[in-house]
Amino acid sequence: MKQTNRRGFLSAAAALMMGLTGLTPAIAQADSYPTRPITMLVGYKAGGQTDLVGRATAKVLSDQLGVPVNVVNKPGGGGVLAAHELKKAKADGYTLLFHANSVINTEPLMLKRVDFVPDDFEYAGMITAYQTALATQKDAPYNTVAEFVAWAKDNPGFSYGALSPTSRMIMEEIAKANNLDVNIVPLKGGGDMLNALLGNQVALVLSGGIHYKYPDQLKSIAALTTFRHPSAPEVETINEAGYQLGMDSRTTLILPMGTPREMLEKLSTALKAAETDETFAKVVAAANIPIMYMDLDQAKAEMQRSYENNKAIMERAGIEPK
Amino acid sequence: MEYLLTGFQHVLTPVTLLWVTVGVTLGYILGALPGLGKATGVAVCIPLTFYLPPVAAIAMLIGIAKGSAAGSAVSAILLNTPGEPSSAPTALDGYPLARQGKAQKALKMGLFASVIGDFLSTLILIALAAPLAQYALLIGPVELCAILLFSLTFIGGLAGRSMLKGLIAAAFGVFFATIGIETETFIPRLTFGLLELDEGISLVPMAIGMLAVAEMVVQGGNARQLDQEAQAFADSSNPDDRRVTWGEWRRCLPVIGRGTLIGAVVGILPGLGASVGSFLSYGATQRASKTPEKFGSGMIEGVAAAESADNAVVPSSFVPLFALGIPGSVIAAILIAALVLHGLTPGPLMFREQPQMVADIYAAMLCASVILLIVGYAGQRLFAQVIRVPIRLIIPGVLFLCCIGAYMETNSIFSIYVMLAFALLGFFSRKLGFSFVTFLIGFVIGPNLELTFRQSLQLLNHDPMRLAGHPIAILFGVLTIVTVALIARSNARLAARQAADSDAVPTQQS
Repeated sequence: MKQTNRRGFLSAAAALMMGLTGLTPAIAQADSYPTRPITMLVGYKAGGQTDLVGRATAKVLSDQLGVPVNVVNKPGGGGVLAAHELKKAKADGYTLLFHANSVINTEPLMLKRVDFVPDDFEYAGMITAYQTALATQKDAPYNTVAEFVAWAKDNPGFSYGALSPTSRMIMEEIAKANNLDVNIVPLKGGGDMLNALLGNQVALVLSGGIHYKYPDQLKSIAALTTFRHPSAPEVETINEAGYQLGMDSRTTLILPMGTPREMLEKLSTALKAAETDETFAKVVAAANIPIMYMDLDQAKAEMQRSYENNKAIMERAGIEPK
Repeated sequence: MEYLLTGFQHVLTPVTLLWVTVGVTLGYILGALPGLGKATGVAVCIPLTFYLPPVAAIAMLIGIAKGSAAGSAVSAILLNTPGEPSSAPTALDGYPLARQGKAQKALKMGLFASVIGDFLSTLILIALAAPLAQYALLIGPVELCAILLFSLTFIGGLAGRSMLKGLIAAAFGVFFATIGIETETFIPRLTFGLLELDEGISLVPMAIGMLAVAEMVVQGGNARQLDQEAQAFADSSNPDDRRVTWGEWRRCLPVIGRGTLIGAVVGILPGLGASVGSFLSYGATQRASKTPEKFGSGMIEGVAAAESADNAVVPSSFVPLFALGIPGSVIAAILIAALVLHGLTPGPLMFREQPQMVADIYAAMLCASVILLIVGYAGQRLFAQVIRVPIRLIIPGVLFLCCIGAYMETNSIFSIYVMLAFALLGFFSRKLGFSFVTFLIGFVIGPNLELTFRQSLQLLNHDPMRLAGHPIAILFGVLTIVTVALIARSNARLAARQAADSDAVPTQQS
């Protein structure tokens, strides 16, 4: 309750200040940016993996920029709600979204109700990457996709756990190419997925990277990104295995379209400090999330590249947004 | 064991004890205030945990969980507005007791049942976390589906006077729970294009509207009568109405034991949560009772059953977290965040690499139980005064807190609309005698049942013969059929008896 009051007071103060400075040109504001607290939206409930990294990032940004960075959780639709809210926000650099860029480079390709394109937003940088992988039990009799396919042919009706439309699509593509008989088990959330995997309910799942916390019980058979994972560099990527299905997602600082470049640069520089920040390193290391910093220009290029890449994959798979 | 002793040394320092007390007190107060609860407490405290030492931060979060589970009984008993959905069964008997002038008795029994359930369940966690978690993994979707099906039979006991109305309410609960993105095809159901509904109707604002706001509206309509009643019983107090008598202890101890066991088991199983625990315990107690028809009119056993299970769920929901790294509850998910922040990874590795840390947390949990008893006992005297406050002063305050509680869940005004919509539904269900408890059961169990059923279909390869490999599921399936048959028989008998002596004894309003 204390926080709500404070937030209410801050926003009242902020509104007052906006009224006073409303007439000065944007450039002058960019010079002194930031002069007041920044609101960082996170599109997940408090306490999740991305929320955690977001809070650690907020702390780094706050230390670097010298103003408080307040995290506000806006859960709903896997970040789509938060992104909608950001799109409507003022492009003054004081509202930003910390989220997986999949909300822009994948969700719109799957859902008809989401119509974002990379050019709807500005990007101040990217900081961590998700180690999405096909994961299974340590003692499973296959270590690569090829071995898995051979095993699956001998075991028709095997079970695969899927958390998201993308993870269904990947298995359906592999099954289509090899004529496999698969039962896709719907899973809800990371906890459900770990239960299914550790309890030997399913033969394979698509994991967002959480399985790397269980080096004794679980392993990856393929990285679903375009790069090999720092947590398991010996495991091939899905593209190397011969299926062009690699899709990257990274935590990204997203801002409303039209935010002045000076502000983006300041945020980008502040974000870079996270690369060497001790607390930040501790948080992401405990969650097995690799730091892969990209500055604002690299981030913009990466958004464009990943969007095109994912779009091509969806088109090949014949996925229509629904 | 050595670790645990050292753990107590670490925890019994002024600083750590202070934070445990802060957590328990905050949780208890938030739980006792209608509309606010765990969710609010956690939202306030996450930023705080960044700056505390690990044990203090984790102890505080655990304190909030324990405190709010116990505190929610207070508003359930005094105002008939459960602070959390899991205390809804507490209100069924607690509120009638309060209206009979036995508020202090009900509050004390609620607190004792909470603390005993909590303490025993913590001991179970300490002794058995690792082996239990391994067994819990044997409970896959197929088994879970059968267990959930069995839990639905408890609707019969909780339906109130009319089984038909109870079932209708439960069906409505299931219906509202189907809103949102469907897990297999990812097509949104009944969302009317509202992105806010993609993840379904959130339990917290729904329960606040249904349980607290609607109740306030109903009480607003009877304000004068309620105030007169309060006047009457405030003057005539018998000391036995303010304490728990020996006879009641004897009757309640087995009930608390059963509640603890049910709560502990439900906490370990994935995805069930505190509400299922307290509903099951209440239903089981009612069924085991010699006078099941008296439940809902002020049976102290009802309070003991619901509260002991409600609190027993909290520690045991940490079993999968500590042993496997799988969060079993909202608080557990937040705890992961707190642990990770301080460089700890929950899971099997934690026991091996940081045994001292685990022991410290255990010690903090046991201390939190004891502190809960002290805080609760002191707080009750204060809260019990609420009953003397005229209703017209209570209602605006409660409505204000409800709005805050609903808003803080998602930081959006949409949650308040959800709350208001369900307040309307709750109002009419009260007026027309539909049970909101069975509605809640339908809402909580329905979606889990659907998910596990879909999972089971896939896992069994759509082949019923494969069920042979799941003996636990078969057992619960048979239990379900037997229970339904028994309920049908006893209902037929009850109806016959009621028809015979309906003129002599007016039936109890529930």
